[in-house]
Order: sequence, then C-alpha cells, then structure tokens
Amino acid sequence: SVAEIRSGFTAIKANIQARDPIRTLSILSYPHSLHKVKSSDRCCITHHLFNFYVDKVFKHCKTEDLYVNRKISSIANSFLSVRRRLQQCHEQNQCMCGQESTEKFNQILANYERLNVTSAAMKSLGELDILLNWMEKSP
Amino acid sequence: EDALLPVPQNISILSINMKHFLTWSPVIIPGEMARYSVEFQGEYEREYANESWIPICECSLITATVCNITEDISATVAYNLRVRTAVGARRSKWGTLKGFFNRITTSLTPPLMKVIADGYHLLVELEDMGPAFQFCVLYWKKGQESRMQQKVVKEVGSVVHLDTMEAGPDYCVKAQTYVESINRSSSFSQTQCVRAQGGRSVWL
Amino acid sequence: SGELHCSFPNPRNVRFESINMKNVLHWSAPEGTGDGVLYKVKYSVYGVGKWIRKTECRNINRTWCDLSNETSDYEEQYYASIKACLNGMCSDWMETTRFNPLTDTKIDPPVVSVSSTEKSISIILTAPEKWKRSPEEESVSLVQVYPGLQYNVSVLNKKTKKRWFFSISNNTLVVPWLEPGTAYCVSAQIHVTTPLLYSGFSKEYCIATLKDKTA
Repeated sequence: SVAEIRSGFTAIKANIQARDPIRTLSILSYPHSLHKVKSSDRCCITHHLFNFYVDKVFKHCKTEDLYVNRKISSIANSFLSVRRRLQQCHEQNQCMCGQESTEKFNQILANYERLNVTSAAMKSLGELDILLNWMEKSP
Repeated sequence: EDALLPVPQNISILSINMKHFLTWSPVIIPGEMARYSVEFQGEYEREYANESWIPICECSLITATVCNITEDISATVAYNLRVRTAVGARRSKWGTLKGFFNRITTSLTPPLMKVIADGYHLLVELEDMGPAFQFCVLYWKKGQESRMQQKVVKEVGSVVHLDTMEAGPDYCVKAQTYVESINRSSSFSQTQCVRAQGGRSVWL
Repeated sequence: SGELHCSFPNPRNVRFESINMKNVLHWSAPEGTGDGVLYKVKYSVYGVGKWIRKTECRNINRTWCDLSNETSDYEEQYYASIKACLNGMCSDWMETTRFNPLTDTKIDPPVVSVSSTEKSISIILTAPEKWKRSPEEESVSLVQVYPGLQYNVSVLNKKTKKRWFFSISNNTLVVPWLEPGTAYCVSAQIHVTTPLLYSGFSKEYCIATLKDKTA
C-alpha cells in the first residue's frame, strides 16, 4: 500500500538524499512542480510514474548498505502491487492521458536523461516524498 | 566438499496475523554446529532485477531453525524464500520454499476484545495487533440484530468509546480485524453482551 | 570582499526545527570556540539550486535563524547552509539535510475548550494554524494543509479514574449520559494519516457536570 511505501521511504530518506549532491535539478519538480498538474491528468501521470520507477529507477539504486537495499526492495515490490491496481484503472479507460500530462512526463524523462543513470536513479528515489505528497494531496 | 553439507528440509512458512516466519528442520552433522542463512526474492527482483536474492542479516549464520521475515515481506506480491546450511566456511546448496509466499494468505484470527459498560456508556478494549490492523466493531441491542451499528477503530491499546446505552436492554458487541494492505478481514470474535445499570458495569 | 581563508572549525548539528510550519534553522557553535563567532546563512529551493543569502541573518552571533518566510511553500523542499567566522577565519559551509515542510514539521496539540451541562460535556477542538508572516495575513488551519487530519480525544472520569478514547474527524464531540456533579478531564491529540504525523496530547482541561437539581 502507499502507506507502506511511505514508511519504507521514511526509513531511508536521509541516507538516499545524502547520496544526491545535485541541488540544481529535480527530476519530478523541474521546471514545474507536480502540483501544477491538472486533476484530470493525475491518474495518467501517476500510472506513468509508477512504470518509470519500476522500469528505470529501482534497478539502479543498489547500495553497499544491506538495510537500505532491503528497504528499496520493499518499496519496489510495493510499487508493483500498487501499479497492478493502477493498471486496472488504465484498462478501464479511467486514466486518460491528455497532452499536458504527456508533456509533463516527457519533461521528467528529459530531466532523468540529463544525469548519468546511477545519479538519476538515486535522485529519483530521493524524490519519492515529492511523489507521495502529490499523490496523497486531495485533488 | 560443499555438496556434502545437507540442504535444510521441510522448509515452510508460518504466517499468522501478518507476522511471517520461515521454518525448516534442523540439519544434524555429528560433532558440528549447523548454522543457517536465509534470503528472499520478491516479484520485483524476479521480473526486474535479474532474479537477484537479498540476504536477511538477522537470519545470517543463525543456529535457530526459524526466521522472522515479516519486515521483508512488506508488499502484497509473490515472494521466493531460501535457506542453506553453513559450518565454518562450508556451505550447502540452497533449499528453496516450495511455491511462492504471498502475505495475502496470512491467517487472520478474531481479535481479543473486552466489552465494558461504564454507566450508560458502551466501551470496548481491543488488543494492539500492529499498524497493519484496523477493527470493525459491530454492536446492537439484544434482539434487534437487524439494527446493527458499526464502528471502525484504528487506534487501539486503550478503552474506545462506542456509544451510549439506554438503561435496561442488553447491548451486544462483536469485532473482526481488517487488514487494508491485503483487503481481508478475520472472522468475528465471540459476542459479548453488557447492560447499563445506573453507573455499575454488569456482565451477562 | 573575497572569500576569507577557511580553516575555522565547522558549525555542528545544522538542522531545521519546524513546528506548525514555523521553520527555524538551528545549529551548534563550532567545537572549542568561545564568544565572538559570527555566522552567515544561505538557503536554496531544491531543484532550483540558486543559493540565496539571508540578509537578516548575516554576521549574527546567535545560533538560529528563522527561515519560515523563505520556506513557506510547503510543496517545495529546501536546503540551508551556515558558515562560521572569527577574526577573519571562516569555516566551510555546513548544510542541512533536505527539508520537506509537509512531512518534517511537528504539529502542536489542538486547543481544547469544554463546556458542561448536568449530564453531558461538549468538546470543541481547534487545530493549530500554519505559521503566517504577520497577524494581518489570512490564517490557514492545518486542517486545510492536511485533509486527513483527525483527533484522538481522551476523557477521564476523575471519580472512577476510568479513561475513554474517541477518534473523530470533525472538531466537536458531545459526551452525553454522564454522572451529574462529576469532574471530567479532557485532552486531545492530532493524528494525520498521510503523511503519518502525530501531535502530542494537549494538557488536560477539567470540568464538572452540574449538580443534579432534583437530587
């Protein structure tokens, strides 16, 4: 569940964010915050972002710290089960992707490509609280 | 020489109320103390991380034949689990749990519950079963089962106020647990009935 | 003036301390330094990255600096940094961890007001307000910031010493059918479900139900 993702992330937040020295770029918030996304686009962006984290981010976040790796595994597997539920919305056409959400997601991918893959993955992982805060904010 | 070390047998899961334990039979090696190490693999590791395994350090080179895997089984997906024997530098092959384990199969027991009438107030005390648990409490006037009322209780470990009671009739209460992360409930507890009587608690 | 020569010990324990989103930067003086150390403060919005000097906290000798104004947008995250100087020597810039006001603030307990009749007590709870720049500025309750905000209320019967708990989402609670002429003490706590936050329990507010006129 999302609450379990948040508690898993909270346990390693300081460790992960300390591994990201780049202050001048945010994967999710640059140039515009997720909070600027229209509520009609929320489902589509959320679906895209869950795929992004599962397909691109977690696999490049292995650390030398076994505890951190276990928590990342916990978060990644929780993403899979939440994504499964999002998938159902997507299949029932309740998750329409407008032009704005496509542009926003492309911007996120562009931000991601600007860094080497490990830095980009670790920065994305460190921004999970940005994603969770936005997801859990009432529309 | 590694192959000589026996692989742990009878590997199984014991999962009750979202507490999950991996157990296996002890490996007997004359004159030696067998130790064991446990690893897990979630669906993510299988599908996206080259089928990698993750060690559980609390169950690394342990002598016990049980490992609490609750902390690592933290998603509702299919997990693989394995254990091997270790003596000194020697290791056995891995023994893997037959089939996956998904926490959705955990067995949920009815909650321990104590119903209290304090004056005209109906109260309930529920055991603290951990953050994953909520409680659905049903209460009704005896004989009026059709007019059952429900309260969802998330904060436990204290006396929770349900409702006020009229003097005279008996009030009955039963409760079940609900685990949101697996979307399942336990069966109901035994029903307990009390009656309000001028400020004295009366058990029936 | 150019950067000064840096071999001065660093400020320690640099961190944000936030209550109801009043976000104050705190630090400890460098080890082994006495009086006379002066500090400079800068901050940045994560993802923008331009460091901005906090002019009101330039060359100060205290070990805190209120950055509530600069960090009031709780949809952003922030860093802050401190440099210590004495007699022309300065330390390195020492940074905080990334500060997320929404998840990293602490919440004060609610204000509890209680009234009573002969057989009931009525409880009104008021959640704290988010920090604001000036008294004239419009108040924002933390209820608006945290839609999942709930209250846990404890009611203690002083005669029987029994304590009951209520969990409520709205801010009023009436407890009927109580004993006349009896003292009840109420305290309450805020519980936010996402992100998971708890305030402490408020102090106890005690009130007695009126005496039974017919007795």
